[in-house]
Amino acid sequence: MAPMRPMTVNWVGLWTIIRREWSRVMRVPIQAFLAPWISALLFIFIFGYVVGGRITSIGGHRYIEFVLPGVLMLNVVNAAFLQSTSQIYFQRFLRYIEETLVSPLSYVEMIVGSLAMTIVRSMVTALGILIIGAAFGATSLSNIPEFLFWVFGVAVIFGLLGIIVGLWANNFEQLTMLNVFFITPLSMVGGVFNTVEMLPGWLKWIAWGNPFFYFVNGLRHSMIGYSDGAHVVLIGAAVTLSLMTVMGLIVWRLFAVGYGLRE
Amino acid sequence: MTTPAISISHLRKVYRGGTVAVDDLDMTIAPGDFFGFLGPNGAGKSTTIHCITGIAKPTSGKIEVFGIDAVKDYREARRLIGLSPQEFNVDTFATVTQIVEWMAGYFGLHAAQRKARTQMLIERFDLTAHAKKQFRELSGGLKRRVILARALVHDPKLLILDEPTAGVDVELRLDLWRYLQELNREGKTILLTSHYLEEIERLTRTIAIIAGGRIVREGPKSDFLKGHGLETAYLTATGATPEHLAAAGAA
Repeated sequence: MAPMRPMTVNWVGLWTIIRREWSRVMRVPIQAFLAPWISALLFIFIFGYVVGGRITSIGGHRYIEFVLPGVLMLNVVNAAFLQSTSQIYFQRFLRYIEETLVSPLSYVEMIVGSLAMTIVRSMVTALGILIIGAAFGATSLSNIPEFLFWVFGVAVIFGLLGIIVGLWANNFEQLTMLNVFFITPLSMVGGVFNTVEMLPGWLKWIAWGNPFFYFVNGLRHSMIGYSDGAHVVLIGAAVTLSLMTVMGLIVWRLFAVGYGLRE
Repeated sequence: MTTPAISISHLRKVYRGGTVAVDDLDMTIAPGDFFGFLGPNGAGKSTTIHCITGIAKPTSGKIEVFGIDAVKDYREARRLIGLSPQEFNVDTFATVTQIVEWMAGYFGLHAAQRKARTQMLIERFDLTAHAKKQFRELSGGLKRRVILARALVHDPKLLILDEPTAGVDVELRLDLWRYLQELNREGKTILLTSHYLEEIERLTRTIAIIAGGRIVREGPKSDFLKGHGLETAYLTATGATPEHLAAAGAA
């Protein structure tokens, strides 16, 4: 074997994490890709087409066009969170996380490698839903770079959140608790199906304090140009970037101290 | 003065809940040595190994691998180590080839090197017929071979083997012994833990006995073989009962 040079970025190691995780996801392609597409199809058909067909317009757009971004965001959030939690938790459960712990991978490389597949899965999910939406004549992309920002940003945030939960959980029930009690309820009241103006006055403050509202609003703005307020998109971008940074630092720190990883 | 392969100073490891698994352990392994690490269950052998390799975080103390701090410069230190752990820490749905090849990737081997090393080790450990099988489909002995192949794929300078022949048949054990001796003759430093005293006696040149988280005896193998032999030396060092010593023929 050739003599060793000092380590810089372990690109091969990083690529191996991604390849390996792709291999794991492709063991369950129906669960990973088909399930969110079917879920989105049902949401779009029932809420967008059947119910939406009886609503004249909302925010100046057909209801099906209005609701598609919210449905897309719901599924991106779920895809990112599920991918991350399952990746970390099963590595811990079967103990093969130790393979990365004994190898010369830096914490940043481990985190980036984990997130890479999360982003891929989220993007593939989003692409599939755009195609489904197109079949209903509901898909439009008024700003593609902005669209990519929101999908990427939300995938990273929920990917990082998934890593935190995956490190914390000690059983399968704990793994799903955050999704059941926090993510799903907040995402449902985050403007997926309605504008803020449609909410009763006493509920509006919940929307403004709900990060999902900003994600959905931002994605909706990138697709159909509609926003629930003049500066909401910019506030949402700031919230997204802040959450990405703060959660990235938290996850890096958890890896550095070995929380949930090292004995 | 030659840099030791492993130098451990005042290692202490306390688990959550207060269990002191390793308590002020000092140990040095010379480069190129074949070092036997003995001790009863729960003595701290695996914990010491986990602290060296990064699976566990030391509470205090210093560990150096060929002069490199295993905590501060963990990436450089880990490049030098290959670990065959006691328990199977594997993605059980992955194939034999994937398990070995992915580990090669983690250690930065490029595609051609990964393929060559993986192929060589699969052949060397007689795994060719099982290369495409999932780990969970293999027998215990075959699983053990895969773990060893994985530990060697990046050609480490230091090989740490935690009970590598547990559950393995006689033929494989003898074959592994020959292979390990060959690797040691080529210059690899080997740290071996085992409950098979015959294995320690046959393979190692230096022995350390750990009990209660501390080294209780250490020295050349020849010192342990004097008198009533390794078994008695071990039982005496670990505070065995008179009945155990009598059974060993030492009382």
